Amino acid sequence: MATNESGDPAMTLTSADRQQRPQSAPGAGAAISLNAVTVAYSNPGHDARTVLSGIDLTIPSGEFTALVGRSGCGKTTLLNLIAGLVDPSAGSVSVRGTEPRDARGHLGFMLARDALLPWRTARRNVEYGLELRGIARAKRREIALHWLEAVQLAHAQDHWPWQLSQGMRQRVALARTWALDPSVLLMDEPFAALDVNTRVSVQAKFLELWQAEVHRTVVFVTHDLGEAIALADRVVLLGGGRVLDDVAVEIDRPRDLATISSDRRYQQLYDRLREQLH
Amino acid sequence: MPITEDSRPSLLADADQVPGRSPGSRSRVGLTRETLVVRVLQVSLGLALVGLWQLAADLKWPDPVLAKSPVQSWDYLVGAARSGELLSNTWATMSAVLIAWVLAGLAGVVAGLALGLMPRTERVLNPYLDAANAMPRIALAPLLIVALGIGQSAKVAVASTLVFFIVLSGARAGVRSADAEWLRLSAVLGARKRQLFFKVLLPVATPAIFAALRLGIIYSLLGVVGSELISARDGLGQLIAYDSSVFQMDGVYGILVLLAVIAVILNQLMSLLERRLLLWQPPADR
Repeated sequence: MATNESGDPAMTLTSADRQQRPQSAPGAGAAISLNAVTVAYSNPGHDARTVLSGIDLTIPSGEFTALVGRSGCGKTTLLNLIAGLVDPSAGSVSVRGTEPRDARGHLGFMLARDALLPWRTARRNVEYGLELRGIARAKRREIALHWLEAVQLAHAQDHWPWQLSQGMRQRVALARTWALDPSVLLMDEPFAALDVNTRVSVQAKFLELWQAEVHRTVVFVTHDLGEAIALADRVVLLGGGRVLDDVAVEIDRPRDLATISSDRRYQQLYDRLREQLH
Repeated sequence: MPITEDSRPSLLADADQVPGRSPGSRSRVGLTRETLVVRVLQVSLGLALVGLWQLAADLKWPDPVLAKSPVQSWDYLVGAARSGELLSNTWATMSAVLIAWVLAGLAGVVAGLALGLMPRTERVLNPYLDAANAMPRIALAPLLIVALGIGQSAKVAVASTLVFFIVLSGARAGVRSADAEWLRLSAVLGARKRQLFFKVLLPVATPAIFAALRLGIIYSLLGVVGSELISARDGLGQLIAYDSSVFQMDGVYGILVLLAVIAVILNQLMSLLERRLLLWQPPADR
């Protein structure tokens, strides 16, 4: 899967879909924008707990942004805001120029745990999102098989999730995400639950998929600074509900994950971010 | 089996290890041998128990009135079967068991799922449900028999009060066990309420519903026989009550064993169905 095979039927649907949504082309402006967003949870008997305060953040189309910070810094809440799972207490969030909830048809979502449905085979799990969107059975199946092939799991299409290793399950989740052809990918620590070796291979597969086509906008939450720098175009450091740092990575693509940690720019960024984390 | 995966992406396709068994390649031989051993041991244990019973009867361990042997009980059952008495009474009992199980089971599934999805209603009703479930239902039998007569309706009603609550709590617990991450993912992917119910909540509740239905069929049998013991026109419970009153203990034992055999068969049938429907579960959870 080095290039985007435009002759493939599943991919034809993809490009046709893209044409109907001209906003998703790179450089077409902000995919996501947050203006003075504050999120506070009212806590009975206590003062309201402020999770995010006065966040201004604009993420251009096609940019890969990593949100980093310690646990409890509000990074997952920020992602939930963009997904429309949490409403801001003040300020406004817009995704592709609309309310986050109205943009859900363009969102892909990945979680730390694969969240595969155990009563569906690998292929039927990849079809899940397509099914929710009312895609016809034959088309669903075709798209699902295409993306299972792209993650080298075509042979496991009829396996139940419990029959797959963790890494394989997370690759099924990757296929499920790509099958929806989202223009915005929201990822919440997607590789955090994997062991080191598996993580590297799934990260590489993810980067390969992302780099092979017109870049989709990615918002990637992680607590792992190295992962953030290695994968992203831009790293936003959150702490105490505010943006502490916002830095462009500027390492050339395509990147080689095996050697990137010896890159001088990588080390420089790593030190800069780690200092602020403490 | 250890899960190994190569860290070099280009080799991923070859490095995949499938833990557990892949579909179609189950180790049938090992499974069959194990099953065979279990079956042989089960039959031996059954024969040993019957032998012990025969021995106890022969040596007159209990009171002579009570000391009836398996052979005597078997003869009674054969006689009752010949006269047609056994079949008609078994049918009277089993039809009531099945009617109560199906009706109360359906009602229990619907009520349980509804309560699982409506936490506030559930909180309001909870103490009443607990109270109703704690009530000794067999104590309701005389009342229901007066209200509904000594036909099938009263037994079905008694059994239903047992089955309904068992299935209700199973379905409710099942629907609650939905993983928060599935719901979060489904919401972001744009699942509507109806889709969420049929594609996530109902499948996730299925194992718990089946476990409850399996328990429910046994309780249905207990409810029906209990109700028949108190008063009924026909049924195995009524037969036991009659035989006890005339000290025909071989008949009582014979019917009790027959009931036990019926319960085992029903349980096995349910397990079979369950295994069919829940193929997606890892074998340890089945």
